[in-house]
Amino acid sequence: MSKIVVPESVLKVSGLGKIYGPITDGAIERTGSHVGTARDPQTGSIVAAWDVNFEVAAGEALGIVGESGSGKSTVLRCIAGDIDSSIGDVRLSTFENGESNLLSLDAATRRKMRIDQVSVVYQDPAEGLALGVTAGGNIADPLTAAGWRNFEGIRARARDLLQRTEVPLDRMDDIVRSFSGGMRQRVQIARALANNPRLVLLDEPTTGLDASVAAGVLDLIRGLLEEFELAAIVVSHDFSVIEMLTERCIVMHHGRVVENALTDQLLEDPHHPYSQKLVSAARA
Amino acid sequence: MSTAIATKPILDVRDLTKSFVLHNIDGRTVTGLHNVSFKVEPGQHLALAGTSGAGKSTLLRAIYRTYAPSSGEVWFRLSDDSVVNLAQISDPEIVALRGRQIGYVSQFLRAQPRRSVLDLVIRAGVSRGMNVADARELGILSLHRLNIGEQLWDVHTSVLSGGEKQRVNIAAGLISPPRLLLLDEPVSALDPENRESAIQLISELTQQGVAVLAVFHDLDAIARLATQIVVMQKGRIINNGPVDQILPLLHPGDVQP
Repeated sequence: MSKIVVPESVLKVSGLGKIYGPITDGAIERTGSHVGTARDPQTGSIVAAWDVNFEVAAGEALGIVGESGSGKSTVLRCIAGDIDSSIGDVRLSTFENGESNLLSLDAATRRKMRIDQVSVVYQDPAEGLALGVTAGGNIADPLTAAGWRNFEGIRARARDLLQRTEVPLDRMDDIVRSFSGGMRQRVQIARALANNPRLVLLDEPTTGLDASVAAGVLDLIRGLLEEFELAAIVVSHDFSVIEMLTERCIVMHHGRVVENALTDQLLEDPHHPYSQKLVSAARA
Repeated sequence: MSTAIATKPILDVRDLTKSFVLHNIDGRTVTGLHNVSFKVEPGQHLALAGTSGAGKSTLLRAIYRTYAPSSGEVWFRLSDDSVVNLAQISDPEIVALRGRQIGYVSQFLRAQPRRSVLDLVIRAGVSRGMNVADARELGILSLHRLNIGEQLWDVHTSVLSGGEKQRVNIAAGLISPPRLLLLDEPVSALDPENRESAIQLISELTQQGVAVLAVFHDLDAIARLATQIVVMQKGRIINNGPVDQILPLLHPGDVQP
């Protein structure tokens, strides 16, 4: 037997699926990568994700790549609980020893679990932040949700997080709407770290930023993932982001996982026809 | 009287074949490696020779799993003396071995743009089990030997010249060296003086018991570093033996990139 020590999985996702519309017999066979559509021609239902399986360890980032509409954000949002899944099993080893399927928790427990353990960084800061609220206030929000009551303690924590994410402290009491795109993203990352999450979900975290700003944000993310031994999922259509942040990734196409590979292997030796098309397009 | 000591190979490659199916170019199959077999023992430096397209880099990549082997076995001996087939183990297991037990030094440095030179080298040592103080001491020593002066240590690697990057890459790749090192033209961008220092550093690996599998594009480097030479042609091994037997048969054109 092999004696290779592999870090234990923090997140286990099995059989995750999300269907919009009625689920009828044969809907799965009539959709997917092999037929080139996620839309069931008989019913119009959209099989946004189906049979998605993967694990992520502490200190590891898993990439999900694919074009828009492939289902990658759907998977992320199902795990986060932003949308309800149709089916599947999602477990966190740090929540009830991995004995509970997060998808079957009642709403209140789910919300509490999310506040304590899971953070999302969205492509659009407006989704993850209240733009009309100050940077400090945006970070105070998840802290108070987790039970922090001491004003000075909250301020100190916010200062610390903004410092780590390289947001100038003299902007702490300015509303986020007055911030540049890159700085808004840094505040969103600071907020995401507020309650020391075990799992961070990053949905196109640098899309829409200037290249030099994006490089700084990526660098920050990578450093934080390492420092806090976070388990992370990075959704991106940009291979340079995936290459910089992840060692392993999955490729999605029309709601299905078509390839599961080491990141360098996906880039140098993609196997699935769709992966080959995606990689050669990115190289062109 | 000589005593033959049976050494256990660190790397034992058997019938390794790698084919690429190009789905978007009429589905054709291109085979880069055909039934390649060889061994590398501790302290051996095996140089891969052959013209461009012979399959040397393909072989290194198939061992490191940047390419997924199509068939065959790649047995690697772990530090606890057990063996694993690199062609079969899981992706997370490969990730766990990379950098720690199997190193890959390519001709290009790949690092985070904002990481400093010394930090990069220290982290490489720490990832292989050194403590920070030792990694720092040894890292500084290697950087000095590779002529990377103190004024560059806290500089981000992204601003270095090609030759400087390559030397930093060597310093990071060779600190507390892993059991198996794959070298893909690691000194290609160096001027003669720096190339000399790098070759000196690489030559010490064999005394440390590291198994080295390397591609160089000049016979001089091979003559000075290799203990064994494997000659490849069109994805096959056509010759394999000790350096003193194989080297006289090679021409400079046989190792062109």
